[in-house]
Amino acid sequence: MDLDKRMSLKDAVAKFIHDGDTVYYGGFQIAVPMALTHEIIRQKKKNLTTVESSTDVGGLDLLVGAGCVSKIHTAWIMNWYVKAPYAIRRAFNEGKLERHDISNFGATSALIAGFLGVPFIPIRGNIGTDMLKYNPMDLKVIEDPFGTGKITVVRAWRADVAIIHAQKADRLGNVVSYNTRGVTDEFGAMGSKRGVIVTAEEIVEPEDVRSDPDRTIVPYFKTLAVVHCPWGAHPSASRGYYGLDIRFSQYQGRYERHAELLPHFLDEWVYGCKDHAAYMKKYVEKFGQAGLDRLKPVLGFKPKMDIDYGYHDPACWKGVPMYTDDRLKAYEDAIAAKKGGK
Amino acid sequence: MADYKLTELMVVRCAKEIKDGEVVFAGVGLPLVVVGFAMVTHAPNMIMFTEGGAIRATAPPGLAITVDDPALFCGADATFGMLATMAALQRGEVDVAFIGGAQIDKFGNINSSGVGDWSKPDKWTYFAGSGGANDMATSGKKVLAIMPQDAKKFVNKVDYITTPGFLGGPGEREKLGMIGGGPTCVVSTMGVYLFDEKTKEMYLSEYYPGQSIEKIKANCAWDLKVSPKVKETTPPTADEIKILRGIDPTGFYLG
Repeated sequence: MDLDKRMSLKDAVAKFIHDGDTVYYGGFQIAVPMALTHEIIRQKKKNLTTVESSTDVGGLDLLVGAGCVSKIHTAWIMNWYVKAPYAIRRAFNEGKLERHDISNFGATSALIAGFLGVPFIPIRGNIGTDMLKYNPMDLKVIEDPFGTGKITVVRAWRADVAIIHAQKADRLGNVVSYNTRGVTDEFGAMGSKRGVIVTAEEIVEPEDVRSDPDRTIVPYFKTLAVVHCPWGAHPSASRGYYGLDIRFSQYQGRYERHAELLPHFLDEWVYGCKDHAAYMKKYVEKFGQAGLDRLKPVLGFKPKMDIDYGYHDPACWKGVPMYTDDRLKAYEDAIAAKKGGK
Repeated sequence: MADYKLTELMVVRCAKEIKDGEVVFAGVGLPLVVVGFAMVTHAPNMIMFTEGGAIRATAPPGLAITVDDPALFCGADATFGMLATMAALQRGEVDVAFIGGAQIDKFGNINSSGVGDWSKPDKWTYFAGSGGANDMATSGKKVLAIMPQDAKKFVNKVDYITTPGFLGGPGEREKLGMIGGGPTCVVSTMGVYLFDEKTKEMYLSEYYPGQSIEKIKANCAWDLKVSPKVKETTPPTADEIKILRGIDPTGFYLG
């Protein structure tokens, strides 16, 4: 099969994200799907529910501030560089946002339960806290049916669609990510019902991905759309490509802080840019190429082990007689004689 | 005496709570600086865990700003992800859970969710939320917290229990089946606190140079008990400060 799933950011969001969807929001403190965040805002999607474990640089704050999200399930939402989730705070105060709190491993476990296709999963945390009290939708305490005592259980989270940012993807939809591997992206993505939209720094050939399949976190059959999108996580980091843009995160955060200012940020940086390339062009115009040059990572961390995923051809056994010895042969001959005797 | 910042005193004092060879799970913020410092000073055999999933025998090559900072993955021993590090917590293999917080009560219950009245949305100010702090403090053998202090932060009752300390007192953690031992030490912006083995109540063990017991008590909403052996915290040495500033040269966390 060679179904090409590459498409524009605009088409991917228009085609695969619908009003009222539950969306797995990828990344953690790095690899936040910012280009997808902006496009969802541009297309004025409404009444979304988001599930994720932790998310930084104010991406989800923008999505809530722009009025796209009505419910969030989360462990931690921040723009760490202004030390608050301002738009989320306001939306909650105004009664426009339901927030369901859980711990990081609670959230990851909810996504793992979704990944596993089971309705809930036991975990050690959250017991004894107010998260349990105020988030009965996701958390309960039960008696362990095997008799070890009380245990917290978390409800499985299965998003309708997952949005993630990765370093590489091929046209078929195989996703190669070495960002925060094993945080939640593979579980959130694989547990989604309809599938995954991925933005990738680079598009590579399927044979390149197949040469190192240990790095594939989402196999092609689960992928809905592949968007080639350099800088797609900016201002968060994309490991090996660019670092965290602290100054821009602070700049954006200072807009998030004030209800009157945020619309101006959205007008200039989101609605005013037709796509992510236009956003990056605006960045260079406003803050200079030097701002982006500063984000170049320290490289030189390539794997040093020469790994060869070799296989063995069983054809080599053709014509090779069975291994045996006198003891085994005598025993087997005796059994055969007995059977023959009957 | 060396010239030092308050954050530097806090970081160096906090690092002393880490013993060589321990498995330390570090949350975001100053804990990342503390473990980096401990690893290159008195605890070279420490094992560093983070939520991003890096497991390290060595300090990262640069300052880690986030818990999934690319610097944490460069030269790590394993990077299997949050699943691996949190699973180790649940198996009871983490010696020290090292967290921050916004509010704390005398039993070491910590709030990092928000302040006000949650049931009245217009009267509630949301913070970030638990992150991994809850998981870490539930199952870590020891819990070390670093946080700012004033009478609105050291309170009688936290506005929201995000992270369990000893809850309502002795025996409550055990009743709920928690495998971790609960809080052991709190390093604030004014002093250092330990917990009474019997009552599980937090008491003042050290005050920083320039602080007084009276001032510290005035910045704590409950009737704070003071150790009969209370003493002034030893300030960091010039060498310690030099190492620390090498870890965070721009003062991102140290200020």
